Parts: sequence; C-alpha cells; structure tokens
Amino acid sequence: MQVGGAEVAAPVSRAALEDRLRGIQSITDTAMSRLDDRELLAELLERTRAVLQADTAAVLLLDFTSGHLVATAAAGLEDEVRQGVRIPVGRGFAGRIAAEHRPVILDRVDHSTVLNPILLAKGIRALMGVPLVSGGKVIGVLHVGSLTQRQFTTEELELLQLAGDRAASALGSLMANEDRIAAAGLQRSLLPSALPATAAAEMAVRYVPGNGKVGGDWYDVFTLPSGQLGVVIGDVVGSGLAAAVIMGRMRSALRAYALETAEPEQVLSRLDRKMQHFEPGAMATVLYAVFDAGLEHVSICSAGHYPPVVASPERSAELAEIPPGMLIGAIGSARRRTVTIDVTPGTLFCFYTDGLIERRGELIDDGLSRLCAVVTAEPPETGCAAVMGAMVGSEVASDDIALLMVRRRPAGPQR
Amino acid sequence: MTAGHDQLRWEGQRAVFAMPPEVDITNADQIRQGLRAAAGLGAPVLIIDMSATNFCDSSGVQAIVDAYNQVHARNQGAATRTALRLVATTVRRILTLVGVDQLMPVYSTLEAALADPAGPFGENTASEDRPAE
Repeated sequence: MQVGGAEVAAPVSRAALEDRLRGIQSITDTAMSRLDDRELLAELLERTRAVLQADTAAVLLLDFTSGHLVATAAAGLEDEVRQGVRIPVGRGFAGRIAAEHRPVILDRVDHSTVLNPILLAKGIRALMGVPLVSGGKVIGVLHVGSLTQRQFTTEELELLQLAGDRAASALGSLMANEDRIAAAGLQRSLLPSALPATAAAEMAVRYVPGNGKVGGDWYDVFTLPSGQLGVVIGDVVGSGLAAAVIMGRMRSALRAYALETAEPEQVLSRLDRKMQHFEPGAMATVLYAVFDAGLEHVSICSAGHYPPVVASPERSAELAEIPPGMLIGAIGSARRRTVTIDVTPGTLFCFYTDGLIERRGELIDDGLSRLCAVVTAEPPETGCAAVMGAMVGSEVASDDIALLMVRRRPAGPQR
Repeated sequence: MTAGHDQLRWEGQRAVFAMPPEVDITNADQIRQGLRAAAGLGAPVLIIDMSATNFCDSSGVQAIVDAYNQVHARNQGAATRTALRLVATTVRRILTLVGVDQLMPVYSTLEAALADPAGPFGENTASEDRPAE
C-alpha cells in the first residue's frame, strides 16, 4: 500500500491528461449548479469513472452525528448504496482517507486494507480515493476502483482530487443550504403557532432567525391541566440543523416533565438528567416559569439563562432577581433553585435570548441596561414592537432573537 | 494541536492557559482541544486566563465546562489533583450567569489567581476573590 509515489511511468501523454482534465471540468461548471445532490453525484461519478477509465466510482458522505461515512452514490458499485454501507471514520480504506485528510492509493485490496466486504466481493484489485473537503472540513470521500490489477499514478490521483474538490464545493454549499432549510423548517414547526388564550394573561412574541445560520433558540408557552401557565425560553449551544434537532428534543422533554411536576427546578433537573444521558455533549440555557392561573405569582428557575426584565405600572423595569443556575448538560448534578415572585395587575415579564442584548465590543451589562430602559408595562404587542425597534432597529441580527412578553391584565375596565 | 502549546505557559507549578480576545463558534473547537490537553497534564493548578477576553459566547462556555469535566474525571482517584481557576473581567458576568463560578473560583486578576496557594492535594483554598455562595 502506498500513497502517491507510484514508480510506474504515466501511461498517458500530457495532451491526453489535459483532455481528461477538460472532461472533469465539464462535470461541474454548467451542469452542477442546476442539479440536486443526487443527480450531481451520479453525474460526477459517471464522468469520473469515464475520465479515469475506472470500473467503479463511489461517494461516501460523512454523517456528522454518527461519525460514519455513508455510501451515498456509486457507479459500478451500486450495492454499496443499496445495502447502506457505513464505514467508521479512521477504519478501512475510506475511513482512513477521511480521518487522515489525505488521498490513499491501494494496489492490494484485501481484508487488511479494506473494511467493506462489497469491495472484496466485487473483485476490486486497486483503489484510489481522495477526501472531499468543504470549508476546511472533510465532508466525505470519493474513490474509484479497478477490477484488474492496476497501478494508479500520481497524475490520476491529481485528477481525482480535482474532481473531488469541485464536487466538494458544490456539495458543501448544497448540503449547507439543505441544512439551513431543514433547520429553519424544523425551528418553525417547533415554535408555537399561536399563544394560548388565557383570561388573566396578555402575550406577544417576536422571533427572528439569525442571519445565515439558524441557531437553537426557542420559546414555548402552554397551559397546564391545573390552569397554570408554563413559559419556556431557551438557547441551545451551537447552530444549524444539529442545534435545531436538540432544541426539538428539549422542547418535547420539557413539556413532558411540566406535566409531571409543577416545580420549575424539578422540571429543569429532570431535563438536565435526560439530556446528559441521551444527548451527551449538548448544552443549553433554559428558563422555565410557571404562572398561576390568575397570574398572581410566578415561579421561575433558570439554567444559565438571562433573567427576565420585569416592569409594573408602579415600578420601572429591572432584571428579576433570580439565582443563576448551571446550564443544562454541563455537570452531573447541578443544584437548582426556584424563586417565586408576586405579580401585581399590569406587571409585565419580558423573556428573551442573548441575540437581543449581546453585541461585540459591548459589556453585557450595557446591553441589559439598554433593554431595561426600553421595557415598560405597556400592552405586550406594543412592548415587543418598542423593544425590537430600540434593540435591533434596522440591524441584521447575526444570532437568533427570541422575545416573549407576558403581562398580567391590568385591573379595572381598561383592556 | 499547536493551539495548546501557544496558549499554555507555566508559572512555577501552575499552568496558565491564555484565552484569546474573542471566544466564539469559530475558535471554540480549537480552544476546547487546547484546554483538554492542558487539563490532561496533571498540573496542581490550571488557570484559565480570560483577562484579555472581551467576548465569549456559549460555545466558549461549553469549552470551559468541558475542561472542568476533564479535570473532574482525571482527579477521581488521582494522588494529586488539579485545581481549576478562572480569571475573567469583561466576560465575568456571562460566566456567572451560566454557573461557571460554581465549578471553579473566579478571580479578577491573574496575580490573584497565582497568589492563592493550592492545598496539599491540589484543591483550591478559600479566596476572598471568590464570590460568596
């Protein structure tokens, strides 16, 4: 087994190589931009196989959640895809290419060099593969094989790398785009379509996905069988589809625990335990508040999330005094504490995520002060508009922003 | 990972890991790896120095918590334990908010973090700079 340095002279002339190069280039420029990923890969493999006069060609893409390479498209090796071949990164021929981030040429194909039984069963004698790299990260592996004994040359390897690079950039942007669309769709589907109607509460919400990368911000509002009103706001660390998926799981789990116990710290502790067991490594800040049916009191527990801003007709806005708590997913058994606050008629709670207040080059306290300066005990709908106007204005948010206001209906005839 | 070598230095028996001015999703992976390497050294005291850091988002917090968990796991059954300390000024508020100050003492200056003696088993001693519970 060797990499590159084949001793055999290049079997084709420079002119022939340039011909091949044109062949490879033709794969991408015009056709690729209009194809979906499946068509793009099929086209790429056919062209690559033809240009390199190889018998098989295959693309395995990295499944980031499992760390496996998954056979996604193949020419002359279709069983790989049909049987859903998965290769752990670091093992076997393709796994090594992905792990070491470099091309590999195999002139001996047997159990010691490949993991995938289909390659052996097919009778492949020589293999050459390159990593697909997009944005500095390996997103997959492209390889070609020969059914007859053959020494792939460095020139041929360069051609394959060229095809791989072009495929990777097309695939990378395609996958990022699909990821973004999926994440945005998932996020939309998980946010409440309407806020629950209750006699005592007025509510309004704003949600602005971050520019380019969707994160894992979410909010949730629900009534409990007891008539209590549950309010959740949270932010999963990370962005993209992975964060949106975690967010969806946390939202469901939290709703389930909210039915089991009315104690916010209990709900968050159970959520924490669940996350650490089933989603190790994931972290999030979450705040859970339970208002009683008449909105006379609220019990709040925060897992590393910003405290709400509270404003009442009598008092100007200030941050609720809530003990900071360890964020979800961090350590084994974090101590959590719930604080109960009296809520007078007309009092407004403003819940938000960090995108609203964090600006580079500014102290967090300054962002919080700016927020407190603009929150008043006005009706939530106008309150949300005022806060977004003052805090965001015409800036394009780089991070997700979630803003949720809950006001206890003022006493008296006014609506 | 070269990041670990560039960012880590020794002050006697104490390892000091210097965090960059901004910690966010673009460099958090690299920092996590550097911190992991530092956490594995078995130094009696490991100081995460964020005195030059003026922005730290949640991915940075994740890297610090990861270092805590590394040290915590390594300390189990070890003869000499590593005491983790953190120095933060601008980003102190956010670290407190997410509970990092419950995992390790936080100091306002590197001098204060260095001056605090480590216990015989490498544990942190009480520090006046440590926020009251």
